[in-house]
Amino acid sequence: MIPSSQIGGGSLKRRTFLASSAAAAAAGCGRKPAAAPGYRFLTPEEADTLGAWVDTLIPPDEDPGAREAGVVHYIDIQLTRWFRKHQSDYRAALSAIDRWSWSRRGRAFALLPLAEREELLVQMEKGKAPRDLFPDGGRAAFDLVLAHAMQGFYGNPRHGGNRGYASWKMIGVPPMPVRGREHYSAAETFPERS
Amino acid sequence: MKAALTALVVGLALLLMIPAASFLYEAGGPDACARCHEMGAAVGEWRHSTHRGVACSACHGDALTTDVRFHLTNAGRVIGHWRGEAGVKARLGPAQVREMLVRCRRCHEQEFASWSQGPHAVAYRSIFLDEKHNSSRHLMDDCLRCHGMHFEGGIRDLVEPLSRRGPWRLRRAELAEEPAIPCMTCHSIHRRGARHEDRRLEAKVPGPRQEKFRPSLAFFDRRSQAHVEAALLPLPAMHDRGRPVRISPDPRQALCYQCHAPLSTREVFSGDDRTPVGVHEGLSCLACHEKHRQTTRASCANCHPRLSNCGLDVEKMDTTFANRSSKHNIHTVKCADCHPKGVPPRRQRALTSAD
Repeated sequence: MIPSSQIGGGSLKRRTFLASSAAAAAAGCGRKPAAAPGYRFLTPEEADTLGAWVDTLIPPDEDPGAREAGVVHYIDIQLTRWFRKHQSDYRAALSAIDRWSWSRRGRAFALLPLAEREELLVQMEKGKAPRDLFPDGGRAAFDLVLAHAMQGFYGNPRHGGNRGYASWKMIGVPPMPVRGREHYSAAETFPERS
Repeated sequence: MKAALTALVVGLALLLMIPAASFLYEAGGPDACARCHEMGAAVGEWRHSTHRGVACSACHGDALTTDVRFHLTNAGRVIGHWRGEAGVKARLGPAQVREMLVRCRRCHEQEFASWSQGPHAVAYRSIFLDEKHNSSRHLMDDCLRCHGMHFEGGIRDLVEPLSRRGPWRLRRAELAEEPAIPCMTCHSIHRRGARHEDRRLEAKVPGPRQEKFRPSLAFFDRRSQAHVEAALLPLPAMHDRGRPVRISPDPRQALCYQCHAPLSTREVFSGDDRTPVGVHEGLSCLACHEKHRQTTRASCANCHPRLSNCGLDVEKMDTTFANRSSKHNIHTVKCADCHPKGVPPRRQRALTSAD
């Protein structure tokens, strides 16, 4: 047996060690998970999962999808601002859908093909997701992410989404319409035309 | 004595803390700036911009900048970041936009000189205290869309009284001589772009190598507090008494149309529209107007010595659109103005003899 003095624990009592470990664990649980590089709130795994989620709602075709249009960044930014109250909802929903995906498909949600992701989200939309993961069957989480994805995709880029006016270009809305005002009357400037 | 010494040390420490945030930003070059989330987008854009060879400090100042406001702004940003109150994207305030003029001038002297002699270098005082305008038109927030667009606040924060009866005065007197349409109205410094082609080739070798427009060209959208690149700005479908008017596809003039805009009828010359009709229909604004100074001097010679069949010295014609007695308003002049009895048939070129 190695004497306790050789492992530097001569004065550490078992009770003290347990108490310290419990305290460290508690402190660890209270810490916020580290955000992914370039993100403010979402962890790398959460950002991937949310990216796959919003890309299922607004998939890319000849125009950018939700992820490419910066919807994940929009939600991430707003989770530290106006959506602060939804932080725990997002953390819980992203964790739950990933666990559901692992248990049902054996892969993370972000790695599923579009059709399989769509299948899970359709179940959530109908409120038929497992109740042990989503108490209401997933409807509330689905509606929340859908609403925020729409805002991030179609809203003004100043809020962090709709990167490069992706959706406005898609639907043919100019970022800056030509808006004239009757500052001068034609009669003053072009009398021959009046 | 001891208390005075302590106060001195504390005061000195506080004084040194002011540029500390500036030191923090520039400790590791551009990457240090990008450490803050709100700076990331701006630094990312800058990396792909034509100004990527210009260090952040060259335009934004550094720890040795003597302007206390600059350091206070940086300190405020760091505090805001730590407190989780950072905005979506860091941007320049109105005072910094004005300071940028000096920094733009360091490298773009010729452009700056042209702009400062042109109508777009107009000062706040000339725009917002114009008696003729203010006594006949309402001052409104929408004025700030094209003039003083970087001003933080509404028209009532800038001018008083907001009525047609003067005398009017600027509530921010220090702005009186400041330019109301600075460089950053039409230029986005961080805009993605490639290095320019050799501009000496432009006149000689028209074609793909010819510069179409500067990648920095973008209109400052006051609502979004962001620039919209010129390529995304629309060119309106204009009409002249029901007839569709041909307009140049030059994307640069989309910037002009943002402020010199027609009314929603899209009728030529409605609102502040200047779309040319008549013999000059289809020409871009910039075919005649110099980019920064907006002068048209000698621009006729760009085309007429080679193309004109009339035998008229167009340089001596009064083509000023502002002159109400001019019969040759450059934006509307048509063949019939000089040929009231009918336009003569085009003379056949002497090709038949050659054939």
